Amino acid sequence: MIQLKFRAINTIDDALDLLQMAIGIEFSTLPPYLYALYSIMPGTNAVAADRIRSVAMQEMVHICLACNISNALGKTPKLAAPTYPGPLPGGIGAGGTALIVHLLRFSKEAMAQAMAIEEPEDGPIDFPHEMLEAAAAPTFMTIGQFYHHLDKFLATQPAASWTAGRNQLDDRQFLPGAVFAVNGYADASRAIQDIVSEGEGNKTSPLDFAGEVAHYYRFAEIFNDQVLTKADNPQGFVWQGRLGVDWKAVYPAIPDPGGHDFSRDPPAARAAQDRCDEAYTRLVQELQRAVAGEGGRLGNAVRAMFDLRMAARHALTVPLAVPTQVSGPGFRYREGLNAESRP
Amino acid sequence: MSVLETPRLLFRGRVTFDPIVTNNQPAEYDESYSRTVFNPGADVAAFRKAAIAAVVGGNWNPHGTHRSTFYETFLVGVDTGHGPTADDPIVKCPVSFAGMLVDVEPYGAFSSQLFFDAISFGIQGGCRVFAPRTTRMTGRYINFARNTTYNPAVDPNVAAGGASVVWQTSFPKAGGLRVDQHDSPVLRQLAEALEDDDVLGLTVRWNAYRTLYFDSLVPSNNPDLARQLQNKLTGGGFQPNPARSELVGVLGLWRKGEPASEPGDRALLTQQSASMASAHVRLSADQLTLDLANSVPETGVDLTKLNLGDLTAVAVAADGTTVLATLGTFGYDAYRREAYNGTAGIVTLKVDPAAATTAQTADIQLRQSDGAVLLAEAALRAIPAVPNTYLDEGEATRLAVLVLDRGRPASAGVSVAMVNPASSTSASVSAVTDANGIATFPLVGTVGQVESFLLVPGQGAPVPQDIDPQTTTYAYVRTLPADADVARLAPTWVNVHAQVLRNWEAMAPCMDNWLLLGDAAQVKSFAAMVRRLTAKSNFESYRFMPVTRDLTAGERALLYAFLDGTTTVAAAETPAPRSLRQQSRALRGG
Repeated sequence: MIQLKFRAINTIDDALDLLQMAIGIEFSTLPPYLYALYSIMPGTNAVAADRIRSVAMQEMVHICLACNISNALGKTPKLAAPTYPGPLPGGIGAGGTALIVHLLRFSKEAMAQAMAIEEPEDGPIDFPHEMLEAAAAPTFMTIGQFYHHLDKFLATQPAASWTAGRNQLDDRQFLPGAVFAVNGYADASRAIQDIVSEGEGNKTSPLDFAGEVAHYYRFAEIFNDQVLTKADNPQGFVWQGRLGVDWKAVYPAIPDPGGHDFSRDPPAARAAQDRCDEAYTRLVQELQRAVAGEGGRLGNAVRAMFDLRMAARHALTVPLAVPTQVSGPGFRYREGLNAESRP
Repeated sequence: MSVLETPRLLFRGRVTFDPIVTNNQPAEYDESYSRTVFNPGADVAAFRKAAIAAVVGGNWNPHGTHRSTFYETFLVGVDTGHGPTADDPIVKCPVSFAGMLVDVEPYGAFSSQLFFDAISFGIQGGCRVFAPRTTRMTGRYINFARNTTYNPAVDPNVAAGGASVVWQTSFPKAGGLRVDQHDSPVLRQLAEALEDDDVLGLTVRWNAYRTLYFDSLVPSNNPDLARQLQNKLTGGGFQPNPARSELVGVLGLWRKGEPASEPGDRALLTQQSASMASAHVRLSADQLTLDLANSVPETGVDLTKLNLGDLTAVAVAADGTTVLATLGTFGYDAYRREAYNGTAGIVTLKVDPAAATTAQTADIQLRQSDGAVLLAEAALRAIPAVPNTYLDEGEATRLAVLVLDRGRPASAGVSVAMVNPASSTSASVSAVTDANGIATFPLVGTVGQVESFLLVPGQGAPVPQDIDPQTTTYAYVRTLPADADVARLAPTWVNVHAQVLRNWEAMAPCMDNWLLLGDAAQVKSFAAMVRRLTAKSNFESYRFMPVTRDLTAGERALLYAFLDGTTTVAAAETPAPRSLRQQSRALRGG
């Protein structure tokens, strides 16, 4: 479970600071999920790959929605690329210990890490959103609690706090029905509900089996290689049947390529990493431009995302100095690299 | 029978349509040769640039992907025989679908289909119907008068905005169809019904309507939005521009004797197309169920339904005028927008059993209160088992045509004519139905042609001049040239790119997302994947490449020779001489 250090939201600036932190966390979850996804050999683990991909897509939606809220409140968000291994920005793991996030190939370990990131605020199943209010002096808050807290604060703000149409992204081209402009509190509240319900689960029941299952459970299905299935029991579910995970159908990708010294590896491997870095850097740059008012650059960011995927798929086939090893993308942001989109 | 029987599930939502439309014009695409048309000296970059320049002129989606995806689509009700209700646990569950929209006839509008892998009602682990594809979805009964806001006579670039389409396919029990009942009464009923030997599986039928370009409710804004899109395209990146439609749909039983890919219920054809489009109905011993999903126009972007007043279903004598029995009357409340959304356009009337008996053998009409006939039954309908067929040059197949007589397979001996309305000789071939109501035609396509065939049941029945998707049934056949000369080329990168890959590299910039078709090393490095995605055995798959299904045998042979690194290629048959029509089309293509 990722937590933020508790901080009261008394002003718009308080809200914006925490919102920026939440955006950073959402953004930082993408590389570990994508690293695991890319490392799956083509044509294998289709169901598991679909689940990871759907979570990653939702994280992208959450980033866009959170950025829309920030922009509507007057602040252009900053998309800062984290380094791996490392803590999520502002994030604190369960019990106050920082959760160090690694880039891991598709494995039980990677899924366990994803579950740790996505674990609902009071552990699986129970979901008492009101706990925050009940606590006399909370120390930490989960992402879900933060958003709930934010929603309550934003509900008290006057209409003048919102700037309609400021740097808003929408889904005319991509992610149909998921990304929408935030022009006031009603939009913001809807966005928050979407983020929380998809990430942690529906407020009353994260497992109502009517909508999408919350991220934690999607990863848990893969971890357990079982399908979370509706049941008439007190929990409301059972683990049933195989999901069809093949832990061996994975490229032998090293963990945390960001910390790997590629200077000892063959030129082809270094070139493959360079292509990954270039695409990732371009992705970050284009996305930053998109959330800063150049909405059309979202298409460039999407292209960069596809380029990153292709670069990753190639990199995962290029042997390192240890010929039984390969590397996925390091998700390294290259400062100073002016990576204009190719037309 | 059919989805008009109960139990049935009702759904509603939205769908994106993201086709590349650059290939809709002969100046950019020659459908006879299945090739992109490059101006003299033009390369891929020049073609793409020209496609972007044409955006303002109506080429509204040069970066399309052909994908069609349901979104915000949920089950809104179920009907177990007592009218629609929303108290089943599967209600509000999502309906998930992703397909590839491809027209057999790139220049035309009557041959749309959706290639897909599966459709899901509900989520895995919960109440769900999971239906893997056996046959692609087929679009038929296009209604160009559906929405009065988008008038193609005023603005031809918004034609699809005014249209609606009936989509259908069916899923056999043995094809991996899965019903996870849990605590859902309707799914329990559905599962029990599937045990019946007469039930083949399930049919899904849905109606797409009010298609918005640029996601804009105001068509007059489209020119400005086109310029904005053009600016984004010029700025690089991936800039698709999917159109969006509303949809309502129904999932129900597929019984023996029912066509898989288009409605087979009793057909009530439009008599006043501006007021009401053709519909299908099911008559039981005491009930008439009308599928009006595609029929009643909306008067504007707000989707208000045209008020036609009270409508009465009657059974008439052979003169088409004399009323033999009145089946029932329903008012605007039954087909206004709110009702339409909740019932997927299905209206059910209780019918006096005696009247129902009369109507079993008489034509049914739907009339307004002043007696004006909106819909009139055509008893005989000839429906192709495979609505759209792709052939390679030299390939032959047989087309089975199911003849329905008031919604049931016709008896043996009914004559059916298959007519190519574009044929210079107006030639037609005839066949008669067997004991199962099926007439079979040999099908040998004309090389390099996209042909349409009207199917006209009944001895001496008048043959329409052309396809009218509201009233005629038809089949499409596309025969790709062998391209033997291409197959014989040396499998060098220059040849493979020039003769094969650059066609799609130019026409489909979205391919840059998945594979750079102009990058020899990348193409080679993904050889296994390219082979898998282009294999004819994967033709029905969602991910088949090229999406447009226009890779010729010669192109495939040359591509595979390059991927395999071989130096010689087995020769294909020499192409047959091209017909006058083909030459004409080639001329149109420049």
